[in-house]
Amino acid sequence: MKKFCLLFVVTCASFAQNQGKMPDGKPNFSGTYEWPKAMGGEQCRCSATIFDRKLFAPLKPGGEPFFEPHNGDPRHDEPRDFCMPAGFPSGMLSANAMQFFQTKDYLIMVHEFQRMTRVIPLDGRKHREDIEPSFYGDPVGHWEGDTLVIETTNFKRWGLDDYFYTDPNQYRMHSDALKTIERIRWKDQKTLSYNLTIDDPKIFTAAWSQEFSIAAKPEWDAAGLYEYVCEENNRCPGGKCQGK
Amino acid sequence: MRKVFAFSLVLATLATLPASAHHSFAAEFDAGKPVKMTGVVTKVEWQNPHIWFYVDVKGDDGKVTNWGFSGGAPGQLMRRGIVKKVIQEGMTVTVEGFRSKDGSNNANGARVTFPDGRSVFTAGSEDRVPGDGKGK
Repeated sequence: MKKFCLLFVVTCASFAQNQGKMPDGKPNFSGTYEWPKAMGGEQCRCSATIFDRKLFAPLKPGGEPFFEPHNGDPRHDEPRDFCMPAGFPSGMLSANAMQFFQTKDYLIMVHEFQRMTRVIPLDGRKHREDIEPSFYGDPVGHWEGDTLVIETTNFKRWGLDDYFYTDPNQYRMHSDALKTIERIRWKDQKTLSYNLTIDDPKIFTAAWSQEFSIAAKPEWDAAGLYEYVCEENNRCPGGKCQGK
Repeated sequence: MRKVFAFSLVLATLATLPASAHHSFAAEFDAGKPVKMTGVVTKVEWQNPHIWFYVDVKGDDGKVTNWGFSGGAPGQLMRRGIVKKVIQEGMTVTVEGFRSKDGSNNANGARVTFPDGRSVFTAGSEDRVPGDGKGK
């Protein structure tokens, strides 16, 4: 009986750590996680998660090109190799740990890859106006019950995901009209449901969505995230190695 | 005098090409040039965005060449339990990977094997090792 009680306490403590509530009763997503993983579909010949082409809406006739073939210029073909940012959503899908910090008014997402940091206001504000498009866009969040909904707009045209590592002729690009909608909720005690909608009217005839799961990794809390400074020792950018 | 161990270099075309690593493999290394070398570690740079370690490799002609090998990001490796002390200066290692595109004495170091048979996967989280059959 004693063992049962101990097990019960441990289980409840773990549950509370992963699915605690904020003082206002909203879910608390603070914690350490793996990157979003696809529920199925095509796997990339790389370490990142990629979007499943079966879910894509049809391309818009006469719309902006979705595929941009590699042209041999490494700065074009893989700008991250020169420490350029991955952008969102691509960077979010990179195979590194993430840490979320939540307050009443903000969710802060820190991704180990490139130390991508997204500051998401939850206080009801609207998107900022008159700012330049950016690699990570302009996010705002709101609650729909226990689901956090994050809408992000104002992106630069940039790579959508890492599919080009599988097929260099299909370098998937999103346009500057991209709007993403993330829906985050607890699916079970150790897993977040992460639904990501791609609404890019310059490229697709309709918005489309993909469901991912994000595994909580409380055992990674102690170590936390490790530093990632791309410029520190990027010895072979574009395949031209420097120094030793 | 620096102790130099046996050397082997394989540039054979393998049946299976590797998949690409995240954000650098395709841009920096040649999937058609797998390498396998044995030598003594001369330096370790446990730094971002990828670790580098350097190995003195003795050729058939007796000439010693210092090769540089790139691995995963320190954070990726440490989370897999591979810490800096796993590869130290003076160790004898056999490294498998793929040569850099510029033809210099640099390569990605996907797998490191020690004389006692232990091996560590030093590449990024899902990088491939020559001949591992996962590339297709």
